[in-house]
Amino acid sequence: MISKQMLKFIGRRLIFLLITYIVATTIVFILPRVIPGNPLNQILSRLSQVAQANPEQIRAAEKTLMEQFAFDKPWYVQYFDFLGNALKGDLGTSVSYYPRKVLDLVIPVLPWTLLLLLPATIVAWFLGNSLGALAAYRRNSWIDKGVLTTSLIVSQIPYYWLGMIFIFFFGVKLGILPVGGAYSQGSFPNWSWSFVLDVLKHYILPFASIVVSAMGGWAIGMRLMVIYELGNDYVRFSEALGMNDKRIYKYVFRNSLLPQITGLALSLGGALGGALITEIIFNYPGTGFLLFRALTSLDYPLIQGIFVILIASIYLANFIVDFIYAVIDPRIRLGQEE
Amino acid sequence: MSESLVKIENIRAYYKLKNREVKAVDNVSFEIMENEIIGVVGESGCGKSTLSNVLLNNIIKPLTIVGGRVLFKSNGEYVEISSLTREEVRERFWGKEMSLIPQSAMNALMPTIKLSKYVEHLAQSHGIPKNELLKKARKRFEDVDLDPQWLNRYPFELSGGMRQRAVIAIATLLNPQLLIADEPTSALDVVNQKVFLKILLEMKRQGIVKSIIFVTHDIATIRQIADRMLVMYAGKIMEISPVDKIVEKPLNPYTEGLLNSVLTPEPEIKKRGITTIPGTPPNLIEPPSGCRFHPRCPKAMSVCKEKEPKLVEIEPQRKVACFLYSEERA
Repeated sequence: MISKQMLKFIGRRLIFLLITYIVATTIVFILPRVIPGNPLNQILSRLSQVAQANPEQIRAAEKTLMEQFAFDKPWYVQYFDFLGNALKGDLGTSVSYYPRKVLDLVIPVLPWTLLLLLPATIVAWFLGNSLGALAAYRRNSWIDKGVLTTSLIVSQIPYYWLGMIFIFFFGVKLGILPVGGAYSQGSFPNWSWSFVLDVLKHYILPFASIVVSAMGGWAIGMRLMVIYELGNDYVRFSEALGMNDKRIYKYVFRNSLLPQITGLALSLGGALGGALITEIIFNYPGTGFLLFRALTSLDYPLIQGIFVILIASIYLANFIVDFIYAVIDPRIRLGQEE
Repeated sequence: MSESLVKIENIRAYYKLKNREVKAVDNVSFEIMENEIIGVVGESGCGKSTLSNVLLNNIIKPLTIVGGRVLFKSNGEYVEISSLTREEVRERFWGKEMSLIPQSAMNALMPTIKLSKYVEHLAQSHGIPKNELLKKARKRFEDVDLDPQWLNRYPFELSGGMRQRAVIAIATLLNPQLLIADEPTSALDVVNQKVFLKILLEMKRQGIVKSIIFVTHDIATIRQIADRMLVMYAGKIMEISPVDKIVEKPLNPYTEGLLNSVLTPEPEIKKRGITTIPGTPPNLIEPPSGCRFHPRCPKAMSVCKEKEPKLVEIEPQRKVACFLYSEERA
């Protein structure tokens, strides 16, 4: 199934990805350093409180820490060290969780974020597109009007606000679902049935808040795409040839879905940002939670490390989406010859 | 004398809007004979496309058939298709008995699947074995001068003219009796137009299609292909005649105006140059009283404003709706 053209296409995409990845990591390197403040302050003030140390000792400690984190070196040296070490798989040591390694901090929380983000985004995309297409096929019916109105309302609700409403209603008022966390306090992650069930119970609210708020936008977009496609000449021609409706709807669905797939790739980054805030609201132990802590303490290595990994996973997802797009749309796959 | 394939009787098709009606086709009657090509001409907004939708019974709101009927000869007997629903006609006739080459036929092919796949889906929809129809498609592609290899390609890999030919080949796969071509050549260059017309004629000669109705605003193409010409203006038939006679001596002043607005090879026309008909087609919500052409007609008389001329046969095979040829003048 994979032809030479396909391989060429994949190769081109990979090179492109590598370049954008380097650009993105550069930005991630620069940004935290522009925020005013000194990452070591926190450690030092803690040190002075705990140890009652005299100023000289603190200055000496600051010097050793500066050397260890290499914050005293010129920025370009830091930059190339960072790139070089990152390629070797070493993302450095966290400042605020000193002396733990960044990688050891990120790896355990990453699955939680992916577990929340990926299914929620895909389910929202799938449901939204199906509803949008349905509304367009039954244009001006009550289904269409219902879908359009609710989508317009829901898509304008900020996901974090929706999350808080959910917590208030289901968690506080009805008390049927837990208000936060990924699992009950006191239990430890394992593969027992009771634990999985517990995780699912904690999962529903954050998951639903992302799905519901993202779905509306997809439905509105898809509805418009399908209405546009239905007016196309190939629909009229296929009808006049006696092609059955089911097949024509399949054509229309397929062609309308193509821009939505690009949209999915584009929205993954945004969805990630949303998931991060959702995690904070729901006290969910994912990367968003960790990033929040890293940002408030200006933990350069940890901020960098989290972004390097998140960007890499988004790019990977983008790449997969691109690949799917090329499989579905021959114009993309074959059209790049010239 | 061949029989008529389609009989259109006093058909009135209006676009019903909230509190207005657009009388796009108003009391139109004619017959499409077996083995003939009818060219339908008129300016934009004269009801030509609505007429082709009426023939297909492709009636989608707000378009409504207000009166009259369309009879289609199928298996030796006439079926009143205008009394069936769109879905019924679609199920029974579309693709098999009547087929369409749409406006801008270049974009008429499903863009993201291979042509062969499209043919297979068509076979499925009609309950025909896939291989049988594919075999037929290969043969038909050769007929329209396309290498059957192109069936294994995507539409966007074909040039505009090739796509157009592929559309004809696919539109005629099931040997429909009536082929409706709705301004199919307007997007083509002159060379491809010629090729296209030749293919249509060949299809008819081989008996793949029986009759063709060719809707266009380009009189030159009709002269090349049609047996009879039907001139429409503001939802009415102004004149219907064999093409050579109409070109030789147009009866209705509107037909004359249309013919004078195109450059033709005859020496006297070359000398005279081209002229245009002043004004634009009327608003079909409130069409002019009497003859709808009278506000623009150079030969308008007082009666034209008051009474509507009937479409009458004044010579064998020539019908015209104009008081210049009627006893009712004066």
